[in-house]
Amino acid sequence: MKRTLKKVLCFAMAAMMGLSALTGCGSNTSVSSGVASTPAKSDKKIAIVCDAAGQNDNGYNQAAVNGAKEAAEKFGIQYKVVEPTNGVPAALETLADDGYNVIFSLEYDFDALIKGVGGAKPIAESYPDTTFVVFNDNPNVTSSGDVKYKNVISVMFDVHEASFLAGSLSVLVNENAKTLFADGYKFKDPASGGRAIGFIGGTNSNGITVFSYGYIQGINYMAKELGVKYDYYAKYDAGFTDSALGSTVAGTYYDKGANIVYGVAGGVGEGITSKAKEVGRLAIQVDANKDNQQPGYVLTSVLKNTNVPVVTICTALVENKLSSMENLQSYSLSSGATGITDLSEISKHIASTDAAKAKWDEIKAKIAQIESKIGSEIKVVNAQAGEKFDASACPNVNIK
Amino acid sequence: MDIIGNILYDTIYHSAPIILCVIGGIFAYKANVLNIALEGMMLIGAFVSTLTAFMTQNIALGVLLAVLAALAFGVVFSLMGVTFKGNVIIIGLAINLLASAIAKFVLVRMNTSNITLSFMNVADLKLHIPVVENIPLVGSILSDHPLITYISFLGIFFMWVLMYKTRFGIYVRVVGENEDAAKSIGLKTDFYKYAAILIGAVCCGLAGANLSTERLGLFTNDMTAGRGFIAIAAIYCGQGSPTLSAIYAVVFGLARALSVNLSIYAGPAAGLFDVIPYVIMVCVLTVVSVLKHKNNKVRGFKNE
Repeated sequence: MKRTLKKVLCFAMAAMMGLSALTGCGSNTSVSSGVASTPAKSDKKIAIVCDAAGQNDNGYNQAAVNGAKEAAEKFGIQYKVVEPTNGVPAALETLADDGYNVIFSLEYDFDALIKGVGGAKPIAESYPDTTFVVFNDNPNVTSSGDVKYKNVISVMFDVHEASFLAGSLSVLVNENAKTLFADGYKFKDPASGGRAIGFIGGTNSNGITVFSYGYIQGINYMAKELGVKYDYYAKYDAGFTDSALGSTVAGTYYDKGANIVYGVAGGVGEGITSKAKEVGRLAIQVDANKDNQQPGYVLTSVLKNTNVPVVTICTALVENKLSSMENLQSYSLSSGATGITDLSEISKHIASTDAAKAKWDEIKAKIAQIESKIGSEIKVVNAQAGEKFDASACPNVNIK
Repeated sequence: MDIIGNILYDTIYHSAPIILCVIGGIFAYKANVLNIALEGMMLIGAFVSTLTAFMTQNIALGVLLAVLAALAFGVVFSLMGVTFKGNVIIIGLAINLLASAIAKFVLVRMNTSNITLSFMNVADLKLHIPVVENIPLVGSILSDHPLITYISFLGIFFMWVLMYKTRFGIYVRVVGENEDAAKSIGLKTDFYKYAAILIGAVCCGLAGANLSTERLGLFTNDMTAGRGFIAIAAIYCGQGSPTLSAIYAVVFGLARALSVNLSIYAGPAAGLFDVIPYVIMVCVLTVVSVLKHKNNKVRGFKNE
């Protein structure tokens, strides 16, 4: 009797486990959805699948959600924001099953979508009527370089151009730090070892080096114009979580005479800005406008405004022009999807002398001038697109 | 010369939270409770201290609540593991996951990805030791650390005294070595296990506050980045001795400091220094266990 009971129990438990595994596949935490009330209601539906940072990251994900909200208000389409709990592929499939027309997938995870994993058909092939939008890479190519699936759009941000601006701005600010800023900052004098700039990246991949190479070129451009030479310290393996590590690495760069450190490493960047405040120097942030994170110590942020492509693609969706859109879309400086911040936060910390204000206006004008030249007169290496960076082309930057 | 000073300063900087975890964790080790929840306790300490400081602008209160939060985790751990005799690995794992999940949940509710304390400057929290700071090299290494960093190093001595020179320490070790014998002489073994775990929790709470609030003035989730597990490794390498285990903690700090400071000269290859402590750890653990089992005989026969 006892033995049979045990058997029954075992069976029941096994069945439960199996069931929960099955249900687990389909469930995703949906976080919020909304429909705008005023404009004519559209039957189109879009979904945003967040990456690991989640929708409240104050940046990359949140901007995309804001883009979806804007599109909902403008066109009356429905949107849904999903933070996947069972991996991105499961979320994509569920949403496609639910009839979402466009699914924006913010995570850097394309295998299941394009190649198919575990013997399954690629998701893009299984749902030909759904448009999938991926970011920061173009996995949607065949071995001969042609577009693989018509219903996948790859969005790239020309962050190398924005980083170029940040590089030029860094040199201009560094050279004039004494004039620009009031007491309280502890800049190293450029003439005596202060001509150095640091870069901290999360991992050594094209998605990170694209920032660094653009930044180096920006530094080189301005340094050449001013006839000076800069040292460039870089670390590409800082990871994305250990903010204490970011703080110490930035500390060594500041010690070496760098007045500005640029961080492209997620949570590690927070450690860099904290260090900048501690030593009274400057840092540059990335992805979202984080200028007020340590007010006065973040020079600017290099932006990825995901809301711009979201709105652009939604517009195409509503106008039924989606199928005629390019499958690889690069969003340049002029599209507003990338760039540096408007510098309003750091402007509050410019000294109140006339000389400082005049110089600051001069610098801002210079940056605007450079911005208009990028893409035409100034060509910036785009590592994301596989372009090679040649250090010897930047003689005014000494890469350590 | 400058670089040596920087490396040594950073060694102390990186060692401090690990040392705190180590000197707290050795008691549980000696009481024969494997406390893998050090990481979670440290993370909740880091989180609560920054959150409290953010809300009240009071750093001391933040540190106090961090210790209390870690203590609460310690109580949960000991209640489940000691009183209810649960599997301590599972409980420890749960606590590690729980700490990270709580922090993430609150951050999401606060609509932010990290907590930054903009009202204070961490440079103001550094203590300048009057005479020492003027000595060349030594001054630059030993001065200018925040309070808890000093506490961590003083703690090594304190814990050594507590473990080897007090009745409490002896009892904890007896409980760990032979629980039945301890019971037979009337020791309340569960009490000593609770105490051992809670000492660890207090230290982890301090370590978390040191890591986040005191040194960076900010909290990002999972910022402990495995330091709790490194501490466990150091405890095992040092066999639970406060001094020896702390030395291993310093080795980890030194390796981290080397990899950070030398990256300027060696480039990406400097990341290799991060490997050194793990290599040392594997070697030490191998040697220790070989020596331990070499002449291990049971009733005259070799025990394999």
